[in-house]
Amino acid sequence: MSSIKPFSKLPQLNTANVLLVENEGKLQNDLADAIVQQENNVNVTVRLARGLPLPAENEENRPRIDLVVFIVHLSSELSLVSTENSLKQLDTGYFLGKVCFLVTGARCGLVPDERLVSLRKLAGSLHCPLLFAEDQTREGVSTAAQRVLKILRVSAGLVPMVTGLYLSSLTRCTVPLDSDGSVQD
Amino acid sequence: MDAAAEALLRQTVRRIPSSKLNGVLGRWGCLSEAQLGSLESMQPKWLLCDNLISLCRENDLSMKHVAEVEMLYCIENPKRGMWYAYQMVETDDEAQSLELMHFRERFKAHLKDLIGHVSIKLKRHQDESVWIRIAWGDNFNRPNHLKPTYVMHHLQTPYVFVSGLTNKHKPLLFQALVLAAGYSSIKNAHLNGRCITALRDLLMRQYKQVFPSSCPKPLKESNPLPNPNIENEHAKLVEHKQRAAAEAFGYEDPPKLERATYKLETKYREHGNESLNGRDEPFRGVVKFTSSNLLESLKYCITSGMASTPLTPLLSSITQKGRNYFVIRDKGPSIASDTLGPDH
Repeated sequence: MSSIKPFSKLPQLNTANVLLVENEGKLQNDLADAIVQQENNVNVTVRLARGLPLPAENEENRPRIDLVVFIVHLSSELSLVSTENSLKQLDTGYFLGKVCFLVTGARCGLVPDERLVSLRKLAGSLHCPLLFAEDQTREGVSTAAQRVLKILRVSAGLVPMVTGLYLSSLTRCTVPLDSDGSVQD
Repeated sequence: MDAAAEALLRQTVRRIPSSKLNGVLGRWGCLSEAQLGSLESMQPKWLLCDNLISLCRENDLSMKHVAEVEMLYCIENPKRGMWYAYQMVETDDEAQSLELMHFRERFKAHLKDLIGHVSIKLKRHQDESVWIRIAWGDNFNRPNHLKPTYVMHHLQTPYVFVSGLTNKHKPLLFQALVLAAGYSSIKNAHLNGRCITALRDLLMRQYKQVFPSSCPKPLKESNPLPNPNIENEHAKLVEHKQRAAAEAFGYEDPPKLERATYKLETKYREHGNESLNGRDEPFRGVVKFTSSNLLESLKYCITSGMASTPLTPLLSSITQKGRNYFVIRDKGPSIASDTLGPDH
């Protein structure tokens, strides 16, 4: 088991690396394909993981990770629980603008509200942005890839004058004020 | 051609989709080429039915022939109800060398001995299975062809698949089957489902299985041209889970089952709760898993990490024992009560 750190390795020129963490492995592959296809100017590398910590054998050839994306399916409680467990293994340096959450299934009426509320609380307390995505359609996946890429470019330092911490302080999810779930952004 | 035959013909034609109707009637072989050509499949079903009945009258066809067309369609499309599997036990040497003609004669003779008014048809399908269609009557009624019982059996195997059988006729059919096939008794195999080929594959182990081995080969090339920019950190774990799933439920297309039922009869064991511990009666509960393709869903549970590996034997014994109905009993005070895998 090895833990990743945001600044333990040297960056490479014109390169951005993103780590997608998802317990089920449903959306990961499609999203990775979409991200790699959409970006032509920058060399984007996508690493897929089922959870943190990452296995130790890939330690040497793993590049510096610029952004960690946690994919959470609201339809499954396990997805949320495993994300919470993975978060505990993540280095604190990442929370300065190098983590975001991607939520799917938020439109489904059958999903209990509490999961989304607890996820918003989690994202709010960590000062991380929360993205919503549609995982069933092609367009939804490509839109999600676009949004992830936008954040990735900033957090990899490819956009002049903007840093991940600065962007994250603008786009972060705020903690819901009431306990009954009424949410303000 | 009487009213009952007409009713059966109408019901059968209603059930067959228009696109398949011409093919079925062609294979039936009771109508001439010219007569077949005069039937237009573009007509509405009721009109086509009337024309067909008048043609049958012309050819002087009877109930026997009409039952044949229904059987033809059923053999080719056996997805019309629940199929139940039964297993015959304690064979004698004769069963190994039984041939169709002999089986047919003996089955008909035994069943006709047991019940007077019954209409039996036997047919061998292309894949060597023997199909039996039985229309039951009783002392006062003629055989009811609208609700026949279908039986599918492979000679030289102990398994029998039955659909549309009532409790009243069960002992009669089983006695005739056991005597005709040369066995001494028959028992429930505790397997049912809508897809008969799946049941057969499961019991005769004909689906694509993966066997545990010490030097595993890769299951398949997951991606013919892997993108150098995408790398899976948990590739080994994913491979391991896919292998575990394939070992439990078969490779690629597992047999299509709809449900699995577990009946629990367990006892409560915890110190300090005398009122629950002292009960003689076990707690009874039923756990049912239903899905349009149950084994595929269970496979997905493993690969996605929802079920832990190694898989509980309760789930993997669906394929290993070829059953989907289990009763779990508490054996005694020393053995801990069985627990089920995660619900979904």
